[in-house]
Amino acid sequence: MDLLLVEDDADYADTLRSELTALDHRVVVAPTGPAALVEIERDRFDAVILDRMLPHLDGASVVRRLRDNGHRLPVLMLSALGQSDQKIDGLESGADDYVVKPTPAAELDARIKALVRARGWIDDGAETLRAGDITISPGQFRAWRDGRPLDLAKLEFKLLTELARHAGSFLTRAMLIERVWGYDFEPATNIVDAQVRMLRRKLTADGADDPIVTKRGIGYMLRV
Amino acid sequence: MASLRTLTAAFLGAFGAATVATGYTTYTATRGAIVRLVDERIQAVSGVLLSEARPGDAATILAGIDAFARRRDSGDIGFELRDARGRRLGGNVMVARALPVGTFDLHGGDGIAGLTAGRALVRDAGAGLRLVTIAETEPIDGLGAARLRIYLFGFGAIVLIVAVGTGAFGLLVRRRIAEVRATAEAIIDGDMARRVPVDPRGGVFAAQAVAFNRMLDRIAALLESVRNVSSDIAHDLRTPLARLHARLTRLAARAESEEIADELDAALAQCDELMAMFAAILRIAEVEGERRRAAFAAVDLSAIVAEVAEAMAPVAAEGERRLIVEAAGDVPLRGDRQLLSQAAFNLVENALNHTPPGTTVRIGAARTGGRAMLSVRDDGPGIALTDHAAALRRFGRLDASRHQPGYGLGLPLIDAVARLHRGTLTLADGAPGLIATLDLPAS
Repeated sequence: MDLLLVEDDADYADTLRSELTALDHRVVVAPTGPAALVEIERDRFDAVILDRMLPHLDGASVVRRLRDNGHRLPVLMLSALGQSDQKIDGLESGADDYVVKPTPAAELDARIKALVRARGWIDDGAETLRAGDITISPGQFRAWRDGRPLDLAKLEFKLLTELARHAGSFLTRAMLIERVWGYDFEPATNIVDAQVRMLRRKLTADGADDPIVTKRGIGYMLRV
Repeated sequence: MASLRTLTAAFLGAFGAATVATGYTTYTATRGAIVRLVDERIQAVSGVLLSEARPGDAATILAGIDAFARRRDSGDIGFELRDARGRRLGGNVMVARALPVGTFDLHGGDGIAGLTAGRALVRDAGAGLRLVTIAETEPIDGLGAARLRIYLFGFGAIVLIVAVGTGAFGLLVRRRIAEVRATAEAIIDGDMARRVPVDPRGGVFAAQAVAFNRMLDRIAALLESVRNVSSDIAHDLRTPLARLHARLTRLAARAESEEIADELDAALAQCDELMAMFAAILRIAEVEGERRRAAFAAVDLSAIVAEVAEAMAPVAAEGERRLIVEAAGDVPLRGDRQLLSQAAFNLVENALNHTPPGTTVRIGAARTGGRAMLSVRDDGPGIALTDHAAALRRFGRLDASRHQPGYGLGLPLIDAVARLHRGTLTLADGAPGLIATLDLPAS
């Protein structure tokens, strides 16, 4: 994917660029907010990775400027850890996702891919989700595999729904904790892995293939 | 405060005793002087009377008494003459009893008209005659009462002034102490910005308040720098760790054998654990920074407990431990849902990680009085009472738990969350097992 990385710390920008390049992205680095706005007008990007703290024009202002100019491209905001109030601020300004620095490049990669795919659908509510032979009706709180109804507990259902929304993309543990459990911290115990094992058991109860793919160090993906 | 009160009472007591002693001494000294003067006078008067008569000459003595009694300044002196057998021969007073030679105190019982207190001198006038000379020691009526009144008013006023002054001084000291104590308690409650009010008019108390406030500024600055040091270290180490994580992830994707893949998995898990440790340090710093208090909202502790139990249920089941929720209706309080959830997670994780399979862990929320209580109790081996303090210390891990997961930041984080909510975390012996309780103010 074509990514614009807006980061004033040259060392960190370099590290992140080489890591994202290794993950098959093309990365352009802009050191300031104004430079980022120029780059966006000049080139076509799939997503923007934007540092929250920038000299002259801060990250939140850059997102507002972008949205005002009619740009809908996904924005992932980066910030220093330990300042949760900035997260709300960042998301309110129009950013699509928010992570604390430093984040492993794989986490950024997964989040960007999820954001780009998420542009395909907008409505959270009534639509039916399909991933392979799994059908989910979020509004009715019901799910089927190959036409047979699945008996899922609340968290299992929320987990399956989130995986189905992003079927074909990997979701990291941090993303799942945020979106399924609604926590802004990662419990020391791996509650995601335990919940995925429970879900897997139910999905494969009658000997069907495991539809969930595990990627080491990254997370989980539901097959399309 | 008790010692200040004791000190005041002791001071007033000693002062009162000294005042009474002074009064008594003055009174007796005055009285002694009067008696001495009266004795000298009756000695002199009777000497003059006897010198004018030959010894045993009763008629001349009686005439002398008559002559003396007619003088204008003699009203306070009285005489009586008795013979050798004690019979009264004459005089201008009547004494109810016969007295031997010597000096005596007289009182109302001696039956002398108009005399309540006096002195008598009995002298031998020759041939067995006895001349009794008496004088009042109280020349003004009611002098004793007047003197008592003077003492009461005089010394009473002094005692009163000292008592009121001491009371006012005590009140002032007590108020200053109360101000310092209120500040100290606010700081213990987490309000590091609180300071002792300084009297703009200056004085020793103002100087003391300024010094106390400067000490608090210094402590706040030290705390802040300690917090920054740990956050800075944690933050700086996260970048190389993130790189290490990325490299291990790339390697894991290319692992050629299952064996190598497993090793890389373990390395990634260790890397995750390190990142989690730094995240916990930064989280504690964030909580202690208290900025999250601004975002407190109405939360239900029961709902938080139910969610955490639901999230941990698969983990507990896989570890062959039972996790039971003991709900008791809504437990409303103002707080931070995320932090309270994280604290509840840590408590349940501790209970699950430090107990053998088969253990039952109960998590509950309850409202008792004005308090919202979140408790996690297990029937496992528990923690020795002497180790409770060590368990709460940052990185304080007990020997028995060193081979178990965790890194000693769980309880300190919970403790910080409790303090942010102006509550406490306590560990108690569940006999068997451990009871950890978050005691928070309910709304």
